[in-house]
Formats: sequence, C-alpha cells, structure tokens
Amino acid sequence: MNTAAYAFAGLFLAFLATMHLLQLVPHLLALRALRRSVSVRSLQELPPAFSGFEPPVSLVVAAFDQEATIADTVRALLQLDYADFEIVVVNDGSNDATLAALEFAFDLEAFPKVYWRRLATRTVRAIYKSHAEPRLLVVDKEHGGRADALNAGINASHYPLFCAVDPQQMLHRDSLRRALEPFVDDPATVAVGAAIRPANGCAVAENRVTAVELPQSLLGMLQIAEYLRTYPFARLGWAEMKASLVMSGAVAVFRKDAVVESGGFKSDTGGAATELMMRLHRVMRTRKEDYSVHFVADAVSWNIVPETFGALREQHVRRQLRLAESLHANASLLGSRGTVGMLAFPGLMLFECYGPLLELAGYAAMLALFALGWLPGKALALVLVASFGLGFLVSASALLLEEYSFRLYPRAGQLARLLLASAVENLGYRQLVACWRTMGLWQWMRARLKQRAPPRRELPSHGRLRP
Amino acid sequence: MSSLPEAVAAGALFAALLVVVALVSVRALRRWRHARLRGVQEQWRGALQQAAEDPHAARLDPIGALDLPYFIALWNRAQEPQHGEVAERLAVFLALQGLDKRALRLMHRPSKRLRIIGIQAAGHLREASVWPRLEKIAHARDPVTSFAAVLALVRIDPRRALEVLAASIPERADWPLARLATVFQNLGPAVVTGPLVTMLMRKPRPGLERVVKLARFGHRERIANIVLGWLGSSTDPDLMMAALEYVESPGDLRWADGAAAHPEWRVRLAAARALGRVGGRNEMPRLLELLKDPVWWVRYHSAQALTRLEGLEPFELETLRENARDAFAADMLGQALAEMRWS
Repeated sequence: MNTAAYAFAGLFLAFLATMHLLQLVPHLLALRALRRSVSVRSLQELPPAFSGFEPPVSLVVAAFDQEATIADTVRALLQLDYADFEIVVVNDGSNDATLAALEFAFDLEAFPKVYWRRLATRTVRAIYKSHAEPRLLVVDKEHGGRADALNAGINASHYPLFCAVDPQQMLHRDSLRRALEPFVDDPATVAVGAAIRPANGCAVAENRVTAVELPQSLLGMLQIAEYLRTYPFARLGWAEMKASLVMSGAVAVFRKDAVVESGGFKSDTGGAATELMMRLHRVMRTRKEDYSVHFVADAVSWNIVPETFGALREQHVRRQLRLAESLHANASLLGSRGTVGMLAFPGLMLFECYGPLLELAGYAAMLALFALGWLPGKALALVLVASFGLGFLVSASALLLEEYSFRLYPRAGQLARLLLASAVENLGYRQLVACWRTMGLWQWMRARLKQRAPPRRELPSHGRLRP
Repeated sequence: MSSLPEAVAAGALFAALLVVVALVSVRALRRWRHARLRGVQEQWRGALQQAAEDPHAARLDPIGALDLPYFIALWNRAQEPQHGEVAERLAVFLALQGLDKRALRLMHRPSKRLRIIGIQAAGHLREASVWPRLEKIAHARDPVTSFAAVLALVRIDPRRALEVLAASIPERADWPLARLATVFQNLGPAVVTGPLVTMLMRKPRPGLERVVKLARFGHRERIANIVLGWLGSSTDPDLMMAALEYVESPGDLRWADGAAAHPEWRVRLAAARALGRVGGRNEMPRLLELLKDPVWWVRYHSAQALTRLEGLEPFELETLRENARDAFAADMLGQALAEMRWS
C-alpha cells in the first residue's frame, strides 16, 4: 500500500510542478517582452505617433446604480490624453438617480439618434447628448445586466474601436494612448488587454492614483502579491506566445466589427471579457483571418480590491464561475491549431478551471494517506515544502520582473513587505483561494446539471401520461 | 521514493532563493547606479547647457565605458528638440570631447539598447561616413533597430533617405505608420512629395494603402493628379476610397457615379462623403438613392451629406424627411437634421 501512496504523492507533485511551470514559463517569456520594451523605450520617446493616425475610440461605460460616482467617473475619463474619443455611458436601468446625476452634471438633452442595432439588447428608452461636452453620449435603457449594457453602448458608439471601461477603475491620463498603441503599430490587432493594479493604500485624488503605496492590511498585501503572481507578467507572457485567452473586463479595447460579428458580450457569462476573447479567437480562426491579441503590462488602471474575507470569497467564486462558463462555451478551441488550442486552452482548463479542485483533492488525499499511516510524515512534509517552494518561486519571479520593468514600489521597506507577502501568500492564502474557486466551480457544475435535467412533465388535466 | 519530493522541494526552494538574491542584487545595483549617476548627470547637464551656447568653453570630466551609454543617451535627448546652430554646437562639443567616435562604436555592440543609442547618435551627428552601415541596418529584419536607422538616415540626408527607402516604406508594415507620419509631417511637402509620387506610381503595389495614408503630407495637387486617376482606372476598393478623399471640386464628381454604385459598401460611403463635401443641389438624387442603401453607415453618411449640400435649405430637408417612403431614410434624415440644429 505504501508504494501506491508514494506513487500518488509523486503524481500529485508532478501535477503541482506542471501547474507552477505553466505560470513560470510565461514569466520567462514576459522577461523577453520587457527587455524588448526597455530597449525601445528611448526610441519610443521619439518621434511620437502622429495624432491624426491615432484610431478614434469609443469608451463604453456600463453604469448601474452609480448615482454617487458616475459624474466623477465621466469627468476623469474626459481628462484622458488622447486625440479622438467619445464616451458612451449606458445607464442600465439603474434604481437610483444615475441618469439624473448625469443630466445635472453634463446638461443632457434627449436626441433623436438613429443607430445600427447590430447586437440585440433590452429596450433603449432614450439617447441623450450633452450641451456641455460634445464627446459624451448617454444611453438610457431597461436593465439587462453588464453584457447587455455594453452591447447597447457598442450599438450606439461611432468609432471602429471600443474600450469597455469599468466605472470603478481609475485610469492614468495616458492609459488610452498606451492601451491603443498596439492598434497603431499592428493593423491585425483585434483586442488589447491592459494591466490593472490594486489601488488599496495608494493616494487618490479626483479619481486618479497620485502616489503608489502599499496597503496596511494583510489581506490587501496578499492580494497585491497575488495580482503580481497571476496578472501582469503572466498575461504578457501568454500574449508573447500569441495565446491570450484571459482578459480583464476592467479595461479592454476591441475592434468593434470583430466583436459584433462574434455576437458581442454574452449575458449568460456575465459579460465576461474572457469569454468574448475566447469567442473572438474561435471566430477569427474559423474565418482564417490574420489577427493578433496584445497585452499592455504597464499599470494603466487601478481598482480597489476587497479587504474583507466575505467580499473576497464572493469575487473569487464569481470569477471561477465565469471562467468555467467561458471555457465550456468555447470548448471547440481545445486542440485547435497553435499555442491557443494546444497549450493555453488545455492549460487553462486543467490548471485554472479544474486545478483548484484537483489541488485541494490532492492535499486532502495526502493528509488521509498520512492519517492512515500509508505515507510517512517526511514525504508529506516534503510535498508541502515543494508546494510552497514552487509557489514562492513563481511569486518571487513576478517581483523580479516588477523590479526589472516598472518599479512601482521603489522603497526598500516596500520590497521587504512584498517579499514577505509573497511568502505568506503561499502558506495558506493560496490554498484558501483554491477553496473559494472550488466553490465557484461547484456552483457552475450545479447550474450546468440543472440545465441538463429534463423538464418535469406536467400531468395533463385529463387522461394519463403515456409511458 | 522520497528522493523525488526531496529533489523537487530542494530545487524549488533553491531556485526561489536564487530569484530573491537576484531581486535584491538588481535593486542594490540599481540604487548604487542611480546614486552615482545622479551626481554625474548634474555635471553632464550643466556641460550640455553650456555647450549649446559655446562648445569650446564647456568642460566635461572623462567618461568611463560604463557611463558612456548614459551620457550619449542624455546627449541624444538634448539634441532631439534642437535644430540648426544649437544642434551643430552640441555635435561639435561631442567631437571635442572625443566622444563622437565612441558613440558611433555603440552601433556595433551586441545589446540592442546600446545599438539604438549609437544609431540615434549617428543621426544627430549627421555622420555621413556611417551611411552604408545605417542603410544596411535599415534593411534589417528587426523592426526597432531598422526604424531607428531610418530616423537616423532621415536626419543625415532626408531626400536621399526617402529615395533609398521608397521601396521599403510600402512593404515594411512593421514600421509604425503613425510614427513614420510624424517624420513625413516634420520634413514637409517640399521634401516628401517627390518620393511619395514615386511610391504611388510604383507597380506592383503592395502596401500602397500605407503610402496613400502618408500622401496627405505631400503637395495635395500633385498627389491628387495621380490619385484621382485611379477612380477611372481601378475598381480596387482601397484605392477608390483613397481617391475619393481627394475629390475637391464639382468637376471631380464625374468619377463618383461609379463609386456610388460600387459593390463594396466602404466605397459607397466614401462616395457619399465626397458628394456631401463638394456637391450641390444636382447631387441630391444620387444621395437620395444612397439613402436607401442596405448598409447602415452608408445611409447615415448619405443623410449627413444631404445636410451639407450647397444651396439646400433645412425646410427642404424637412420636406424630404416627411415624404420619405423608406422609414430608415426618414429616421436618418431626422437625426442628421437634429445634428445640424445641435451644432
């Protein structure tokens, strides 16, 4: 029995090693991309892009019950440093006075705008233009969720590119320019994802981060370490492999015609940008069109991450649910040509979607084997140490990349705290997140089973049911 | 059996430790370099400011091999906004310090960053002796160094550079067009029109759409003479759309008939815009026809074009809207009229 237990321990270790390797390899590739950008940094300063060639872009903001903040959000967006853009705010049937706040702040008036309803949405009640700000358009519609609101915004927008902006994000003045650079430099670009960073602890003024600081709370610190490990450099590495599948909906720029032809945002996946991204890959591959997806690793946008366990759990559960939905809705990508179908999609499916479940099951089985006396304590301890070591290796490599590239945390004390958080993150927090993600996966499985169950046949008012 | 977990655990911890050591070393090295450079850069900046006025009076402490790229990068940045005599004085200053040759040698270094700094310095020095080397780099595959070489060649001799690069500019899709446009804009029509005409006349025409976009920086009349000819001789949508942008007088509209009936909607849209830009009352029937187009954007731009037609009064447009049998057309005209009133 000991041999079987050892074999299981070896298998579990191989699983953990592969999972971490799939995080480490993108980091190595991100280093290549960062080296390239560092070498061209002096060149990029000159000559600047001719502003007449900057592609015009529509910023689409889906607003629901944002009465208190929507005016400030729009004002901050209007300050963005970019040649040609419009802002389309979609009031998604808010229960509060979101529309009134916009009317008051920007002197809105209903306008008989005719638009091309290429994506089906809930009824649009009215469209407003602003007397104060010609770049602003407000769409008032019945509540249909974020995806429906974004689709309505896409319909009403003018420009060939659109940027879906979460109203809770804080953007830099030059965010749009940075995020749109790939569209200027590569005509085959259909989508660009941009890095988001936690703003907890940072100094904020007028909806902008003015000084980067670390949060005081342990949960905030752990999330910064988690973001660094899983987000900017990992995404950059996958983009380097031409295999970007995951995208944050907080700030993402898309080519409108490609999105419209792909069907827009889907309501049943909560408007997840990742699902849209996967569908874009599918559609472009079916049409055999040359396309590319880029990722901008500069911190272009900041958001406040939850600092309570309840809110954090909810966030992770929801994310996992959406990931599972997105992956299964686009399962035909599995095995398709290139790194997308051969590496990224199977990797996401195995290690990101089912990974938390497998990881927790592995730990539980190891503990059970130990409790039954089939696995010695030393072997269990070694697996746990290896798990920590692998996780910390990935976290430390992310910190090294951060040091090499952006250096947002320049003080020695900040570096020490980040290193400590990266170590602590792998001593329980990561496993806790795996539990929450497993809950998300479980919710998705239950929902899927419910959908599959045949509808109960009602007894007819007269006669018998036929067998 | 425990050797595998042991090896993985030890390997992972050791690798993590190495990364942490690398991280701390990078941070320490950077701090040390930053502190050292902060001191000397003050002196460098002072010397460059003085050199911009009198290169012979400016003094500079000897610069070591490690510091050289930083100094040359600073010198490049100081050169960037300068023209004429100031740029000349800064170049003289570099030569007087014996740094010009050392700067050019950076072009041969293996590091891409150093090569780019060297290439930029060659451009600022207007160093004709490195022309063959720069031309070779400009034709290299790497988009970044090749584009840096293009910029350097343009600085040294813009006319000759554009002649040499005329064949590459349409084909090198990896050279950012928006940045190339800035170069063309800065050079001005007198310099760029000749090479643009050469590029526009070339056959076959791969990448012609890139040249067409840059053509706006040339002499409009000379470019229009070539481009408007495409309306009669080509059915290529990209060429026709580009040509329609050059329609400037009612006389040019004789070509727009074919474009308004083109199977590609983008061409019909460009035709509608051209009709609205220079047309008068006579163009109304054509635009009313386009107002029934199956493609939304064509209808939208046709409605807007109608509101811009010379000599057409708002009440006439209102009548057109009321009498329109097509609901889409009526809506479009309604919006166009509202936009007209709004503005």
